[in-house]
Amino acid sequence: MYELFKNLGDWLVSGEQWTGPDGIGHRLAEHLQYSLLATLVAAAIALPLGLLIGHTGRGAFLAINLASFGRALPTVGLVVLVFLASGLSMWPVYVALVALAVPAIVTNTYAGMNAVDPDVKDAARGQGMRWHQVLFQVELPLALPLIMTGLRLALIQVVATATIAAYVSFGGLGRYVFDGLAQRDLVQVLGGAVLVAVVAVVLDLALSGLQRVLFRHRPA
Amino acid sequence: MNRRTLLGGLFAAASVPALAACSSGITSLDGEGGASGGGGSSKDGVTIGTANFTENQVLGFLYAAVLEAAGVQTKVRPNLGTREILIPALRGGDIGLLPEYQGALLHYIDPKAEATEEGEMQNALAMSLPVGLQVLPYGMAEDSDAFAVTRETADRYGLATLADLRKQNGRLVIGAAPEVKKREVGVVGLKDVYGVEFKEFKSLDSSGPLVKGALKKGDVDVANLFTTDTDIQANRWVVLTDPKNLIPGQHVVPLIADRKADSTVRKALAQLGNVLTTADLTELNRKVDKDKKDPEDVANAYAKEKGLTR
Repeated sequence: MYELFKNLGDWLVSGEQWTGPDGIGHRLAEHLQYSLLATLVAAAIALPLGLLIGHTGRGAFLAINLASFGRALPTVGLVVLVFLASGLSMWPVYVALVALAVPAIVTNTYAGMNAVDPDVKDAARGQGMRWHQVLFQVELPLALPLIMTGLRLALIQVVATATIAAYVSFGGLGRYVFDGLAQRDLVQVLGGAVLVAVVAVVLDLALSGLQRVLFRHRPA
Repeated sequence: MNRRTLLGGLFAAASVPALAACSSGITSLDGEGGASGGGGSSKDGVTIGTANFTENQVLGFLYAAVLEAAGVQTKVRPNLGTREILIPALRGGDIGLLPEYQGALLHYIDPKAEATEEGEMQNALAMSLPVGLQVLPYGMAEDSDAFAVTRETADRYGLATLADLRKQNGRLVIGAAPEVKKREVGVVGLKDVYGVEFKEFKSLDSSGPLVKGALKKGDVDVANLFTTDTDIQANRWVVLTDPKNLIPGQHVVPLIADRKADSTVRKALAQLGNVLTTADLTELNRKVDKDKKDPEDVANAYAKEKGLTR
């Protein structure tokens, strides 16, 4: 065990491991690209949906159940399914990652909107605010902490799962995990896994820091 | 089908029963296992172990069918795991007989072995197997690595053998499991032995849905498959021949404990080996994997049809 961790340390710090097309630098950039793009696309789909459901209160039952269904989808199965339909392309990876991220964002956005005190909304309307003013000036600011939690959750899940890109021949940090398993190179597997975990934690901390800076004038 | 998939092996090793057996250091598979597998001769019956994939289970039940017909009592323990579990179980006497594959077994016993031709491998196995174990004569059926192209690709580039790939150096894309990139029976050997260089290596799976889907769609030109894969025939894919014997033969061979290898057992298994062809084995796999039939029923029906049992 000690040997393994020592080798892992050597693997992580050696110079040649960080450069070149199979180097950690390049794989890290790929991993970030897959994760951030997938999360952005998922947010573009899920945020408006969650806000709409939360604001109108309609379709909540359907949307939440669909989201739960989405969460239960086995990601690898989805990748293989899309792969068989689309062939060798990035589609399987992005479809699976977006499908993974959407539920977390929708449900949290809805929960945030739903938790806004109805009296506050009534008061806003009573003052003559239009629906969009109520949505953007009252509900959205109050729901933001929960919405941000949804985004952070989604991003962590996506970063951890973006390893599957390697399963369908692409790059990212999953390359080390899949190649290491195939070549019985445990140090490589462990190295890849540790890097993925570090990326997830760092991104989550960055987002929570951003959240704090943006909303420091209000109690969270 | 994924006889040599290392991923499969690792996952199997992590499965609960296997883990329990390893962590507690127990070598016996069950309390009375030693009695059936480790008895003095085939008169006490033979316990047949099989690995965790369809084809090996079918083979195990085929062995059982022909041995029963020869008057030997058998018990099949299907789906025990990978070689890492099966070989110790055989040495410990928990099982007495195991359907194996020449090249893969030789490589497991002696990773540095260089023999690839059937006869040489049989000799090498005889020399390197641990005391108490032996291989019986190998059968006709073979489940080896193969490099396949679609019929259209074969026609367009005039491909029939692995050597022909060289004419298209730098133009073709190969799809295979990740380990194949660094394997002798893979990109390394194709370059060393045949001088073949690919445009790109796409890391997919071992004769699974990904690599076959990619070959079908034309995303890869060459795919690493197993010869008993039913989709090769179904899609009329062309398996490139191997004139320089790069790919070790993987004939099915019974691995057996010495004390079980009496003449009755030898004769029955040799008879099966001479009847069962690669095409037959492929068809039996298809019945289990695609038609969802029970491996034991499939094996019994085949043995009866070929007159191996009554």
